[in-house]
Amino acid sequence: MDRGLGATRRTALSRLGGAAERGYALADRIGAHGAFLATLAVLVVVFYYPVGTVLFTAFTESGRVSLAPLWATLTDPFYFGVLAGALADPAGAPAAVRGWIDAGFPAVRTGLFGWTAYLAVLGTGAAVLVGLPGAYVLARYEFPGRETVRSLTVVPFVLPAIMVAVGFTTMFGTSGALNDVLGLVGLHVNVAFSVPLVVAALTFYNAPLVTRFVVAAADTVDARAVETARTLGAPRWRAFRDVVAPQLLPSFLAAVLLVFVFDFMAFPIVLALGGLRLATVEVWIYSLAGDLRLGEAASLAVLETAITLALTYAYLRYERTEGAARAARIERVPLVGPPTAGRLLAAGYALVALVLYVGPLASMVLESLTRGGHLSAANYAFLLAQQLGTGGTQPTVAVRNSLLFAAGAVALAVPMGVSIAAITNRDGRLARVGGALLMAPLAVSGVVTGIGLLQALVFGVDLFGWHLAVTGPVAIVAAHAVGGYPFVVRNVAPLLARANRDLAAAARTLGAGPARAFRDVTLPFVAPGVVAGAAFAFAISVGEFNATIVLARDPGWYTMPVALERYLSNPSVGPYLGPAAAMGTVLLAVTAASFVVVERLGGRWEP
Amino acid sequence: MERRDYLRAAGATGALGLAGCLGGGGDTETTSTSGTTGTTSGDRTLTVATYQSYVDGEDSPGAWLKEEFEAANDGVTVEWTTPSGGSSSGINEYIQRAKQGAEIDADLYVGLNTGELVRIDEELDDPLFATVTDALSHAGDVKEALTVDPDGRALPYDTGYITPVMDATVLDDVPTTFDDLLDPAYEGDLLAENAQSSDTGEAFLLWSIHEKGPDGYLDYWRDLLDNGVRVLDTWQAAYNAYTKGEAPMVVSYSTAQVYAANNGEDLEKYHLGFLDEQGYANPETAAVFEASDAPDLAASFLDFMLSADAQNVVPQKNYQYPATTTGSLSGNFAKYAQEPADPVTFTYDELAGNVTGWIEDWARLVAQH
Repeated sequence: MDRGLGATRRTALSRLGGAAERGYALADRIGAHGAFLATLAVLVVVFYYPVGTVLFTAFTESGRVSLAPLWATLTDPFYFGVLAGALADPAGAPAAVRGWIDAGFPAVRTGLFGWTAYLAVLGTGAAVLVGLPGAYVLARYEFPGRETVRSLTVVPFVLPAIMVAVGFTTMFGTSGALNDVLGLVGLHVNVAFSVPLVVAALTFYNAPLVTRFVVAAADTVDARAVETARTLGAPRWRAFRDVVAPQLLPSFLAAVLLVFVFDFMAFPIVLALGGLRLATVEVWIYSLAGDLRLGEAASLAVLETAITLALTYAYLRYERTEGAARAARIERVPLVGPPTAGRLLAAGYALVALVLYVGPLASMVLESLTRGGHLSAANYAFLLAQQLGTGGTQPTVAVRNSLLFAAGAVALAVPMGVSIAAITNRDGRLARVGGALLMAPLAVSGVVTGIGLLQALVFGVDLFGWHLAVTGPVAIVAAHAVGGYPFVVRNVAPLLARANRDLAAAARTLGAGPARAFRDVTLPFVAPGVVAGAAFAFAISVGEFNATIVLARDPGWYTMPVALERYLSNPSVGPYLGPAAAMGTVLLAVTAASFVVVERLGGRWEP
Repeated sequence: MERRDYLRAAGATGALGLAGCLGGGGDTETTSTSGTTGTTSGDRTLTVATYQSYVDGEDSPGAWLKEEFEAANDGVTVEWTTPSGGSSSGINEYIQRAKQGAEIDADLYVGLNTGELVRIDEELDDPLFATVTDALSHAGDVKEALTVDPDGRALPYDTGYITPVMDATVLDDVPTTFDDLLDPAYEGDLLAENAQSSDTGEAFLLWSIHEKGPDGYLDYWRDLLDNGVRVLDTWQAAYNAYTKGEAPMVVSYSTAQVYAANNGEDLEKYHLGFLDEQGYANPETAAVFEASDAPDLAASFLDFMLSADAQNVVPQKNYQYPATTTGSLSGNFAKYAQEPADPVTFTYDELAGNVTGWIEDWARLVAQH
C-alpha cells in the first residue's frame, strides 16, 4: 500500500534518510509479530525450557507422571495449615470447624503459605502507603532536582539484602541512629528481628515501584479532560476521581501486583533481618534445593507460581482501561509556596523518605568508613589493594561488567517488552492467559530458575549429535533481559491501551508504514512507560546475582554484587562488613549516576 | 568464613581445561614436596574445584598452594575452578552433573564438610570420589578426632571450631553450659544461624544434638526458642547484628579474637564462650574425583596439602586450624586463637541417614515457633 509512496520519496531524500526508510521497510516486513516471535525464542532458550525441566519434576514420581508430589505438599499442614487438613480429609472438616468454635476460636494454623501471604499483604500495604504519596509529590509539584529524585527512586532495587540489613540494623537497631534521636525526647523503639522491621525493609525495596509506575502514568494524563471537568464545575477532588484516577488505576494496580509478587517471594532480606522464625516459602525452596530435594522444591515453586500467575491473570482484566490520548500535560505547581494540604503531605513524605531511605543508605556509607568501631579508610584501602593486586576481584572490572550487562539487558528487554505489550494488548481470555504466562519470569522462584539455568544451559543438552551449552556474557545479558522485560511490559501496556489508535490509523493512511506509525505516533505516547520500564530493567540487571554466577563460567565476568559478596566472604577480611559496604557504596554511586544519565537520555526522547 | 553460605557461592568458574596429558615435550622427573615421587610426561593441568573465598586474591590459601605445588612439580599447572550449583553448596553442581551424566571437569574437590559427604552418598549410587588414603604419605598425620570418612576418600586439611562468642563487657556472668543458655537472665541474648544454609548454624545445631541426644535436642531448642534465641540466615547477618549491639552472644568461630586483636579492638567484647568446655569441630576435607584423568597427580596435590610445609601456612591463611599433628600456628593466630579443651564432632557414620532429618525437623520447629 505504502510501497509506491515510499519509493517516490526515497529519490528526494538524502542517503541517510533512504537508509532510515529501508529500516522502516525492514521493520514493516518483520513486523510486530516477527519481533514477538524473536522474543519468544529468547524466552524459550533462557527461561521456559530450563525452568520447565525443573518444575516438571513436581509432576513426576519414580519416573512416572504423577500428581502425588503436589498432593503431598498441599496436604502437609506445615505448608498449608488447616487447609491441608481439610484437603486431606474433607469429610472431617465440619467436625473440625465445630471443634474450633467450641474451643472459642483459637488462632488458626495457616502454614508457611498462609504466613508468606500475610507478610506479602503487609508489605504491599506499606509499599502503597509510602509509594503513593511519593508519586503524588513527584507528579503534582515542580521543584529543583525533581527529575533527579524521580531517577533515583529505582536505586534501592539494586542493593543486596545483606547491605540493606546492615543499613537497617544501624538505622533502626537498639543502639541505632533512630533511637539516638528518639532518645533526646526520652523515647526508645525496639524493633530488632521483628515483623515491622522486615516490613519496613520490604517497603524500602518496593515502595519505589508504586511511585515510579504511577508517576509514569500521571505523565500521560490528558490535562484538557481535567480542565473540561473543572470548567463544568467539578471540584478538584471530583475531577481527580472521575478523570485522573481511572487513567492511573491500571498502572497503580500493575505496581501493586508486582509488589505483592516480590513480597510473596521475598527471601534473603526476611532471613537477614527477621530470622528463620519468619521463614517464607522461598526460604524453604532454597533449603530444599540445597539438599537437592528438587522434587519437593519444585512442588513448592509450582504452587508459588500458580498463585502469582493467577493474580497476574486477574489483574490483566483491569489493565485495559480506555482513555484519551494525551494532548496536553498537566501543569505542575511549585512545591514551595503557601501551606496547603498537599504541601503538608509533601513535607511529611520528605520526613518518611529521610528515615526510610536516606537513613539506611547513609548508614551503609558510614559502615564503609568504619573498622572495628573507629572511623577508618581501611575498607577503601582494601578496595584499592584489590584493584592493584593480581588474582583479586577488581572494583573497576566489576563496574565495567555490570554496566556492560545492564546496557545489553536494557537494549534487549525494551524491544522484548514493547513487542509483548503490543501483541498481548487486546481483549479476550487467550490474550490474558498469554499475557499472564509471559510474566512468568517474575512469578517463578529465583532459586528454581538458577537450578534450571545450571542444568539446562551450563550442563548443556545433546541435540542431533551436537552438545549445546549456553554460557558466558551473552547468556548473562539474555537472562538479565528476561528478568527485566516484564517491567517494560507492565509499564507500557496500560499506556498502550490508552494510546489513540485513530491517530496511528491516520498516519497509516497518510503513507506511513506500521513501523513508522508506531515510532512517530504510538511510541511518543508510551515513552514515559518505556523509560520507566528501561530504568527497572537496568536496575534488575545491576542487582541480579544468582543467574550471573551460574552462567558466568569464567572468573573474570564478575559484577558489582558478585564482587561485594566475594569481599564479604574473603577470609582476610574476617567478620568486618566494611569492605563489602565500601563496594556497596560504589554500587550505589555508579547506579545512581547511571539512572540520572539514562533518564536524561530517555527524557530527551520523551516529548 | 561461611562455608555453605549461598552468598559465598559467588563464584564464576575458572578453567574448563581438561586435566590430563596434553602432550608436548620437556619430560622431567620431579620429587614433590610431599615426598611422593612422580614422573611427569609433559605439561599437565590439575583442575581443582573449591569455594570462591579459598582462591580470592594473591594472599589466599589457593594462591599459595598453586604457586608452591607448581614450583615443586615441573610442567604442572594448577587451575582453580569455583562451581556454583545455584544453591548453598558448590559440591551440588558435581552431584547434579553426576546424576545427569554431564562431564565432571575437575580432578579434585577442596572444601567438603562431613554432612556434604553424607549427602553425596545418599544422592548417588556410583562413587563420586576415589579412595586415596593408602596412597598418601601424610594421611597418618591427620588428627584422630578429625578423621571423618570411614572409606578413606575425603581427607581433612583444616578445621574450624564453632563456639558462642560473648560480649563480656555487657554480660556480668557469661554462660558456660548449654543449660545456662536457657536461664531467663539470657533471654533474647543469643544469635544463631540457620542450619539449612550456614556452616556455623549447622555446627551449633549438631553440637546441641551431640549434647542433648537425637531424642532430646528438639525439646532443648523449644526451650531455647522460648528464651528468645534468634536464628538468622547467615553468619554475616548474625555477626553484624552482634557487632551492632543487638544481642551480646553470637554463634561464631574460636578465631574471633584474632581479628579483634588485628584491628585493635577490646578483646573482652569477643570472649570465647566454649560450652561445657567443648567446641564443635567442623573439619574441611578434600577428595579426588573418581572421574579424574590424573588421579595420581590429584592424590599428590592432596598429600601436599597435608604436608607440614602446607599445614604450617595454609589453614591459617583460611583463618582455620591445621588438621594434622604436624601443623602449627604463628603470629597473632598463635597468640589469640583458642581450641576448645574438648572438641566434639559427629563422624560420617553418625550423620549418615540422620543429618537431613535432624536439620529439617529443627527448621520446621523454628519456623513454626
